Amino acid sequence: MPTAAVTAGDGPETTAGREALRKLKSTDPPLYLCPSEDLSKAARLASEYLFSSLKPYTPKSPFSHLLVNGFDAEQIWQQIDLQTQPLISSLRRQVKKFEKNPEEIRNLFNLGEKDKKNDGNDVGTISNGDEKMENEEGFDEFEDEEMEGDDDDDEEEEEEEEEEEEGNAHEGKEEDGGGGGVEDNFLKIKELEEYLEEDEAREYGLKKEKKQGKRDQEDDNDKEGDDEDEDDDEDEEEEDDELGVMGVDVGEDDESGEELENARYEDFFGGKGKMGQKRKSKLLHGSDNLDMDGELSEESSDDEKNQSQKKQKLSTHEKELEKLHSTIEQMEKANLEPKTWTMQGEVTAAKRPKNSALEVDLDFEHNVRPAPVITEEVTASLEELIQKRILEGRFDDVQKPPTLPSRAPREVKELDENKSKKGLAEIYEEEYVQKSGLVSTAVSISDQQKKEAGMLFKELCLKLDALSHFHFTPKPVIEDLSIQANVPALAMEEIAPLAVSDAAMLAPEEVFTGKGDIKEDSELTQAERKRRRAKKKRKFKAVAAKRMANKVQHSSLQNRVDGNEES
Amino acid sequence: MEVENTSSSLPVKPNFQPLKAHEISSGQVQFRKVPVPPHRYTPLKKAWMEIYTPIYDQMKIDIRMNLKGRKVELKTRPDTPDISNLQKCADFVHAFMLGFDVCDAVSLLRLDELYVESFEIKDVKTLRGEHLSRAIGRLSGKGGKTKFAIENSTRTRIVIADTKIHILGSFANIKIARDSLCSLILGSPAGKVYSKLRAVTARLAERF
Repeated sequence: MPTAAVTAGDGPETTAGREALRKLKSTDPPLYLCPSEDLSKAARLASEYLFSSLKPYTPKSPFSHLLVNGFDAEQIWQQIDLQTQPLISSLRRQVKKFEKNPEEIRNLFNLGEKDKKNDGNDVGTISNGDEKMENEEGFDEFEDEEMEGDDDDDEEEEEEEEEEEEGNAHEGKEEDGGGGGVEDNFLKIKELEEYLEEDEAREYGLKKEKKQGKRDQEDDNDKEGDDEDEDDDEDEEEEDDELGVMGVDVGEDDESGEELENARYEDFFGGKGKMGQKRKSKLLHGSDNLDMDGELSEESSDDEKNQSQKKQKLSTHEKELEKLHSTIEQMEKANLEPKTWTMQGEVTAAKRPKNSALEVDLDFEHNVRPAPVITEEVTASLEELIQKRILEGRFDDVQKPPTLPSRAPREVKELDENKSKKGLAEIYEEEYVQKSGLVSTAVSISDQQKKEAGMLFKELCLKLDALSHFHFTPKPVIEDLSIQANVPALAMEEIAPLAVSDAAMLAPEEVFTGKGDIKEDSELTQAERKRRRAKKKRKFKAVAAKRMANKVQHSSLQNRVDGNEES
Repeated sequence: MEVENTSSSLPVKPNFQPLKAHEISSGQVQFRKVPVPPHRYTPLKKAWMEIYTPIYDQMKIDIRMNLKGRKVELKTRPDTPDISNLQKCADFVHAFMLGFDVCDAVSLLRLDELYVESFEIKDVKTLRGEHLSRAIGRLSGKGGKTKFAIENSTRTRIVIADTKIHILGSFANIKIARDSLCSLILGSPAGKVYSKLRAVTARLAERF
């Protein structure tokens, strides 16, 4: 860092500037309370001097020198600010570099050794800087109160602070690089380390303060003066509204390079532990003017907001996953529960809620043709048809199917309600005659002629059937009292070998000799089986007894006969 | 011992002819007298010859009408073949007197096992006044059709004389007729009696 630039410069202006600075320094603090032109003038001069001295280090600064005449305090301050903002960031970078590579500091100090002459001044300035560092805090306290009147002073003080810091940094480095043997250097090295630690602590502390409280402080400047990472992070902050980045930044400051390469999901979307703290600070960032007291009350409600804001912080992927999970859960739940009645198979009215069938759109087959809509045309057509049929005389009357005579109608002896023409004697006479069989008369009491006619017709039909073998019609069965032999029809020779059924033969029930319900042995129950056996035994016993009796009789007869014969 | 003797030389079994009526009564004549009720007097006069002829010619029984005593008298002849003829003729005449037709009563002469049964309505059920009249009407039926129906179906002859009922026929048939008549007296309608009769007669006819 070229310190020659500081010493170089316009002689009269620099001396004037220095004079002004000294003057400001020498004045008592209470004198600042009341506005004085001398002080303000001195302050302006000092500001100009400082500005111009700092100008070489700020290439981007739009102003060549501080414009003081006729400018407001605010305007002057803005100019200074414009200059110092980039300066601070560059300084930060340098400090980081020195942190990594302490050797460079040596180089600097080697350079600085050449300018040992200035060390005294520098030391003085350092000591002044130390003093002024101590005064900084005092100045900080006064800042708010002296806004209007002592703006310039404030600016000056701030500038002084900054310069002191820079000076300290520079000189600290220079002295360290000067060699370890010198006590002052050793001490300065240590001081440097301490200072660095302090600075870091302050940074972190300041950051914590921010989380708890205000943001519009030097921390802003500190942060913005950081490396690109922090810039990026800030951008991310602004974009994603996440505080986690800040915390990550704290961790990443040490390992910025590595972290970038192995950036993970958690780095971007923060662990759940860090979220709480950052949430708080984030909240309070949002509401700028919250006091520390207000923060405490909000901490209690932070837990609730944590969870809700966790959800807000979910990525799209996580959101989709969540949705999917919820749908899966829903479906599983639905599967476990019993199905709605519409999904079940056969549902009776008792199994579904009342009137539920009305609400459901049922669809079922109608096996019935829909009733015809009666229109005038329909009725006209019907009437036409009716009239036509009447004229034709063609009615679709139901005709009874002709019943086939299964057997000859039995001769029903009707009750004759007239006086019988025959005398009783004659009736009996006839009866007797029939019984004795002297005169063959008809079995059934019917007209002789009718019988004869019937017989003739039957013969005719038989002959006709014989002519047509293919369409067999069986003879109508007529109950006769003639004795039928249970012989198959084929055995009896007919005119034509018709396939006559043996319906005329004895029917199975006629063949059957037995009575009652015949059961096979397998169909019998145990009790029935016992009954049968008992019956059989009884029969057998009876037969045996009879036989015995017969034997006895026989034997007794024999005895008697023998006895008779003997005697 | 005695048994043996008899078994070795048994006398010829005598062969006795049936005794004639005379001999049974040891030569005495037997009479039967049948009183004639007044309402049968005229029919008797009309049907006399029909009555007389079978009795005298076939049964060989003397018959005469005692006008004064209003009786029909029957007497055995010496050539009456069987003593039962007299009884039969008496029954025959008696049946006529009850009200039966001659042709119906003649069956008594020809068949042995025909009988005449008589009973009164009051034997079945005590009916008075109109009930009695109605019962009688029920028995006969309209124009006598119920009575004829019973007669025809059961091969009997029925005479309903006021409160007295006479049935002529064989024993079983009399029973059937009597049952139907009794059911009619007791109040069953004619249709019911008819159906029963039909069933009975069908059974009767099946026997042959």
